[in-house]
Amino acid sequence: MDELLSIRKSFQDEIEAAEDLTGLQQIKIKYTGKKGLLSAKMKSLSSIPPDKRPAFGSAINEVKNFIEDILTQREVLLKGKDKEKRLQSERLDISLPGKFIPFGNGHPIVQILEEIKDIFSSMGFDIEEGPEIELDHYNFEALNIPKDHPARDMQDTFYISDDVVLRTHTSPVQIRVMEKRKPPLQIIAPGKVYRCDADLSHTPMFHQVEGLMVDKDISFSDLKGVLELFIHSLFGKDTPVRFRPSYFPFTEPSAEVDIGCIFCSGKGCRVCKTTGWLEILGSGLVNPKVFEMAGYDPGEYSGFAFGMGVERITMLKYSIDDIRLFYENDLRFLRQF
Amino acid sequence: MRVSLEWLKDFVEIKAEPSEVAARLTMAGLEIEGIESVEGDTVFEVNVTPNRPDCLSILGVAREVAAAFGLKLKLPDTQIKAQIPASDFSVEIDDPKLCRRYTGRLINDIIVGDSPEWIKKRLEKSGLRPVNSIVDITNYMLLEFGHPLHAFDADKISGRIIRVAKAGKNSKITTLDGADRVLPEDSLLIWDSEGPVAIAGIMGGEGSSVTNSTKNIFLESAYFAPFSIRRTSKELSLRSESSYRFERGTDIEFLESALNRSALMIRDICGGKIHEIVDNYPEKYIPRKIEVRYKKINDLLGTGLRDAEMLEILNRIGIKTEDRGDHFTAYPPVYRSDINKYEDLVEEIARIFGYNNIPARRPKAALSAGILNLKEIRRRKIREAMRKSGFSEVVNYSFMNPADLDILALPENDERKKCIAVMNPLRQEESLMRTTLVPSMINNFLYNLSHGIRNIRLFEIARIFIDKGEQLPSERLRLGGIYFKEEDISIWKDKLPSFFVAKGSLQALFDELKITGLSFVPSVELFLHKGKSADILINGKNIGFMGDLSPDVVGKIGLKIHNPEIVVFELDVDLLMTMLPDRTKYSQIPKYPSIERDISIVMRDDITSGSVLEYIKSCQAELIESVELFDYYKGGNLPQNSKSLGFRIVYRAKDKTLTENEVETLHQSLVQSILVKTGGELRG
Repeated sequence: MDELLSIRKSFQDEIEAAEDLTGLQQIKIKYTGKKGLLSAKMKSLSSIPPDKRPAFGSAINEVKNFIEDILTQREVLLKGKDKEKRLQSERLDISLPGKFIPFGNGHPIVQILEEIKDIFSSMGFDIEEGPEIELDHYNFEALNIPKDHPARDMQDTFYISDDVVLRTHTSPVQIRVMEKRKPPLQIIAPGKVYRCDADLSHTPMFHQVEGLMVDKDISFSDLKGVLELFIHSLFGKDTPVRFRPSYFPFTEPSAEVDIGCIFCSGKGCRVCKTTGWLEILGSGLVNPKVFEMAGYDPGEYSGFAFGMGVERITMLKYSIDDIRLFYENDLRFLRQF
Repeated sequence: MRVSLEWLKDFVEIKAEPSEVAARLTMAGLEIEGIESVEGDTVFEVNVTPNRPDCLSILGVAREVAAAFGLKLKLPDTQIKAQIPASDFSVEIDDPKLCRRYTGRLINDIIVGDSPEWIKKRLEKSGLRPVNSIVDITNYMLLEFGHPLHAFDADKISGRIIRVAKAGKNSKITTLDGADRVLPEDSLLIWDSEGPVAIAGIMGGEGSSVTNSTKNIFLESAYFAPFSIRRTSKELSLRSESSYRFERGTDIEFLESALNRSALMIRDICGGKIHEIVDNYPEKYIPRKIEVRYKKINDLLGTGLRDAEMLEILNRIGIKTEDRGDHFTAYPPVYRSDINKYEDLVEEIARIFGYNNIPARRPKAALSAGILNLKEIRRRKIREAMRKSGFSEVVNYSFMNPADLDILALPENDERKKCIAVMNPLRQEESLMRTTLVPSMINNFLYNLSHGIRNIRLFEIARIFIDKGEQLPSERLRLGGIYFKEEDISIWKDKLPSFFVAKGSLQALFDELKITGLSFVPSVELFLHKGKSADILINGKNIGFMGDLSPDVVGKIGLKIHNPEIVVFELDVDLLMTMLPDRTKYSQIPKYPSIERDISIVMRDDITSGSVLEYIKSCQAELIESVELFDYYKGGNLPQNSKSLGFRIVYRAKDKTLTENEVETLHQSLVQSILVKTGGELRG
């Protein structure tokens, strides 16, 4: 019995000292292995008087259970410590940056163009295109701007030849579409246009979106409805809109559309030249002369057309104060959009 | 145009604040762009649209004010009392189409001097410089009545005759501004018996001009055809306050009042005796009349105006009307030359009624799908794919510098040399239309590099223009791009030739577009690096190129970096779009497992990996699902001029599970044929 006690005592001492799983394994073999101390004790049972055997046997088992329990506990503990150590050693400096290629940025003009196309597309307008190098006929004549018309002064034209120009507006697409398609039609024509003008607020190339809607019984009321909806979609539902008489040779009545200045909320500032309003697009009912030239009967059909400068809208939306930034293509600029 | 409020008050009793006047005029179509206070007066900056020449005067603006506020217009008395009989001056008109009326008065015994202060002030407020009393009075009338007048020194007119006729050949004149001008044959001139004394409606001649010593003048008030004045003014690049008004159209009837009022002012200020009028007016003006149905107007405007309301509006702006039941007749005044058709009346009614009083409604249009068309969707896909590869979008002018073509050293017969030239470019550098996007890409790269940016990925989608000998050039949509990275300063370094970064980006694009049949073959473009460039083919069709700029080009653009890798590319987007699959069709996910085998072969360096890859794919095509190059190695212990390529081959059958044995047999025979084909050996 004393021997059992000393086995137990020495086990306790050794287990306290075991710091890793290898040490633990040795202890396990030493005490509970086939040739271990407890097995030896069991074998010695036969040399003990029969009447004392049961008591001695259960004493051995008790010590064995005790040792096995401790071993198990100890193993769980040391395994945990081991894992912890491994994880520690694998630790990353998580503050290092991840690897990625930053996405490129869309040019702000193209982004706003897409926004405008999305709005009109959702209202059922088709997207049409036309040539950027255009016949004088489509750019001017068919839009009721004959050669000696003073309205030609409104647009400084780049000429390729006497009859061919860089289109000064996207309006010629109207005519090309009307020659091709029968009403009802509702289209927008986005694209590049050119005027020989370059200063703080003009670039020789810029972007416009032209629109045209033709059907029976289209009225000025419809023009107002569609353009108000468009402006509210682009600038927000509460943006004030006003329509003001103006002149374009290809529409009559013609209207300039202004929005309440988004910088001063209509109080008057430098951007809106203290008027509280910003000019945003031109529009009007299609001039019957234009219908006639395109082969539509103005007695049967009516329609409205509109056109807007994309640069201006983009400048307003992003508070950009110099139009030339769009064409410098400085990545420090482009990266912001 | 600058308009003084105090001057306006001569014609209409304005009580409203200047800001209110500006607001009302703007909303009636006469846009006030600015309001300025000048010496106790207010000056409006009025933007007069080209259709409203009648508003190019104080009187014209006063009419609009009267209509906007419902006020009465006061006109000055222009009757001349105590005139002396007609002079011996005669007026001849050669072509009544060019000069429809010519009136004049001889005024004798005047004294020319400085104008009174009030005239000078009004001129100055309007932006004109006072000269002498006669010139100032004609200018004053031009501003007040909108009708340009011209005063000749009557003693410098030879033969007491005024003839209005074209220049014909070899006519010359020295104009008031001191310039000697050769006159276009078609230009309309005023002649005396000796030669030209003025360019009609544009500028007088120096020889017949009024000076401080002038005693007698002949005062002209005429109607010249707008198209003729415009053409001559343009051809001579000579514009004046006078030509500006004539070319927009003046009032053929009212010109007499303008003549009379200025004659009266001259008599008041300079003294003198006014002779009776000389009036050559071959074809009298016939008043216009327009018939229109009331309903048409409400239909076009979307309004519910009553008949009487419409007529009242028109009457307010001087248009006389006669009601005829369901329609009416309108008689526009002479000065409203812009009103000729029913639509012109619709506009007048709309603007006086107020655009903001017209209700807004959503049209009852035919249903439309409202989907972005296919081209737009595909273009957006291309943009997205490029952006995901890190490329930012640029937009450049469509112009090109002739020198750009020299930098690229394009061969003589290259299509990109068939450029469209602009007749009147702003700068020589912008005188051609682009035939390729490469020069713009290079310029964008140089700009960013010079601003300290060292990692540059840019792309543009834009049209190029090629002259094919037709009236209009061919316009094609192109995708252009440029890639440059000076050094990899990120901590996770990728060391690979820039060529492959760009190639990878394009491959990602084609993958996104679901384009198959792609191949890269050595490029024929001379501006690209011979060994680092490729033409891009889809099913054998060339759709563009990519590659490093050649050392020659790098030298020409003056780059100081040693051996830079600048990769450019350009694709024909229009062509690309024809190669996209129309629709995506589902194909079944494989049912049976696959087996992978790797193979590494050492072979001669000049055998391209692409050719080996193609060869492997062509063997046992049925059972090889995919082949991928996973290793590329040169140097180390490999022999010179050789490389090692590692391929991973995936075997799979559509209808059964392949066994290890089957695949092993297949693979061994494949390995053997690759070794034979390449003359290589397995890497140990």
